Amino acid sequence: MSVEPQTTAAAMSAVDYDDAIVKKFIFATLLFGVVGMLVGVILALQLAWWPANLGLEWTTFGRLRPLHTNAVIFAFTGNFIFAGVYYSIQRLLKTRLFNDVLSNIHFWGWQLIIVSAAVSLPMGWTQGKEYAELIWPIDLSIAVIWVVFAINFFGTIAVRKVKHLYVAIWFYMSMVITIAVLHIFNNLSMPATILRSYPIYAGMTDALVQWWYGHNAVGFLLTTPILGLMYYFLPKSVERPVFSYRLSIIHFWALIFLYIWAGPHHLLYSALPDWSQTLGMIFSVMLIAPSWGGMLNGLLTLRGAWDRLRTDPIVKFWVVAVTFYGMSTFEGPMMAIRAVNSLSHYTDWTIGHVHSGALGWVGMAAFAMIYWLVPRLWKTTIHSPAAVTLHFWIATIGIVLYVVAMWSSGITQGLMWRAIDDAGQLQYPIFMDTVLELMPFYAIRLIGGTMYLTGMLMACWNILMTVRGAPASAAAARPATAK
Amino acid sequence: MSNYTPDQVLGHSDEADGIEEYDNRLPRWWVGLFVFSVAWSPAYAVHYHFVAERSQAGEWQAEMDAAAERWPQPTAEAVASMTVTPEVVAEGEAIYKTNCIACHGPELKGGIGPDLTDATWIHGGSRDQIVATVTNGVTEKGMPPWGPVLGAEKVFKVAAYVHQKGGGQY
Repeated sequence: MSVEPQTTAAAMSAVDYDDAIVKKFIFATLLFGVVGMLVGVILALQLAWWPANLGLEWTTFGRLRPLHTNAVIFAFTGNFIFAGVYYSIQRLLKTRLFNDVLSNIHFWGWQLIIVSAAVSLPMGWTQGKEYAELIWPIDLSIAVIWVVFAINFFGTIAVRKVKHLYVAIWFYMSMVITIAVLHIFNNLSMPATILRSYPIYAGMTDALVQWWYGHNAVGFLLTTPILGLMYYFLPKSVERPVFSYRLSIIHFWALIFLYIWAGPHHLLYSALPDWSQTLGMIFSVMLIAPSWGGMLNGLLTLRGAWDRLRTDPIVKFWVVAVTFYGMSTFEGPMMAIRAVNSLSHYTDWTIGHVHSGALGWVGMAAFAMIYWLVPRLWKTTIHSPAAVTLHFWIATIGIVLYVVAMWSSGITQGLMWRAIDDAGQLQYPIFMDTVLELMPFYAIRLIGGTMYLTGMLMACWNILMTVRGAPASAAAARPATAK
Repeated sequence: MSNYTPDQVLGHSDEADGIEEYDNRLPRWWVGLFVFSVAWSPAYAVHYHFVAERSQAGEWQAEMDAAAERWPQPTAEAVASMTVTPEVVAEGEAIYKTNCIACHGPELKGGIGPDLTDATWIHGGSRDQIVATVTNGVTEKGMPPWGPVLGAEKVFKVAAYVHQKGGGQY
């Protein structure tokens, strides 16, 4: 938690970095982290106790669920990535961001998109595609703002003052390019009215494009940019060299090449042709090692710094984040195997898998970055180091409760659905019987999720107190130099 | 490769904001895992499609064949020659409680589906007509076809129960 100047700070002091935009993205990350996780807790409550649907169409599970997923993926994670990318590329490339106007269009445009999602999804305006629910006018805005981001990002690379591109930047590039391609092609549709459109793909093709998008949104928004941020902020936090440059090259190319083929594993045992199901399964299995390459480079970078695990909560956050990354990138390929998928598909196991990645990997990496970055941006120390440690424990225990509850629930559900009695009939033909069996797990999930949200609120308080307590000169100096 | 020394920094750090990078060899077990998964995957695909000639449809057919062998369904003639006894009606009641209660209610007074105890038989009140309605369903009104789910024997039994509760004679 110290704020010693970096060894090369003197060499770079001449560059006038745009930190104001990074600060804005951090505040947006905190705000939408609270909103997205709060909606998640409300959904968990609705599943454990149905009257929480309130009997209003706008607050029912079906309307709020896409609000939750969009908020945590695009608002919380999106803003966290933009903050980290904009902070790190300036330092790595020794130049200010390409264009301040584009930076601000990017920031305000993205927040406007989030607000329009927060209105349109509870209203029930949806395309009905998971993680791509937003209606076509919002999709168009996303495409425009993403192109603004891409111009700003590649513009910064073009005007860089160094020759070499550090590994983090390759990962960022894979996100910028791939998300643009995925978003545009999955949302190609013919508008009918302002609120409604029809996809240009029909039937199974539409489903395949949707899961090519859905799977790689996880790959190129929740995985590769976070790995890039890990490659910058983890060695910065522990002040140790990255374990292996050649491992980073090999696992990067293997990961991005293999990832893009694995989408059909979302459609095992469906109308999708057998050969494409096989393709989705085997590309998922081949993804284990490339994913673990990232985990290894993260964990092995900590060699020689393990003593800091006891004292530095930021290192704790990184270790749990990287460990959950390794765990969920093993679990995912296992779930993509036909025999496992026939049990796990459509059950809460999938929900548990997603949350070990989202809460464990993305969330913990976000907190590690924010707790390291905020004291440096505001030239101060964190308000309460004890609250950071407490946040770490409450979040970690919350994740474990959540994930274990969903494993138990999912496997119970899967086994009950397929159970056959001695007469060859379904043992639980009444769906509600299987739901009632899951209620204790839903209660545990609610507790786990509430703990994670509590940690998020503690982070907000701690960051706001840190910013308020920052020396006035530093606070005043920043906007001045930003002009 | 023979003069490899681990933990040597590459010297890029002035171009990486001070972050040093080692160029350590890939962990051998990791390379082994990668090679194994890349070798196993095409082997699995070839085996699945061309050696074992497995398929989703084939898997379904095999399961259905195994089920037909283990739980042989009575022939149509056997069902046709069944008679209604109090035992059959009691079994029909159990089948009703498992499958029909959600829509037609515990007392057969209806709910989502129509009342089965009043004087009105929308699709006919004879036992044969009830068997036909349960077997084929009335999908446009939300009644699913139960023939494929229950089989002819259970349909016969549940129809006997409904027929009796609806005032019919056996």
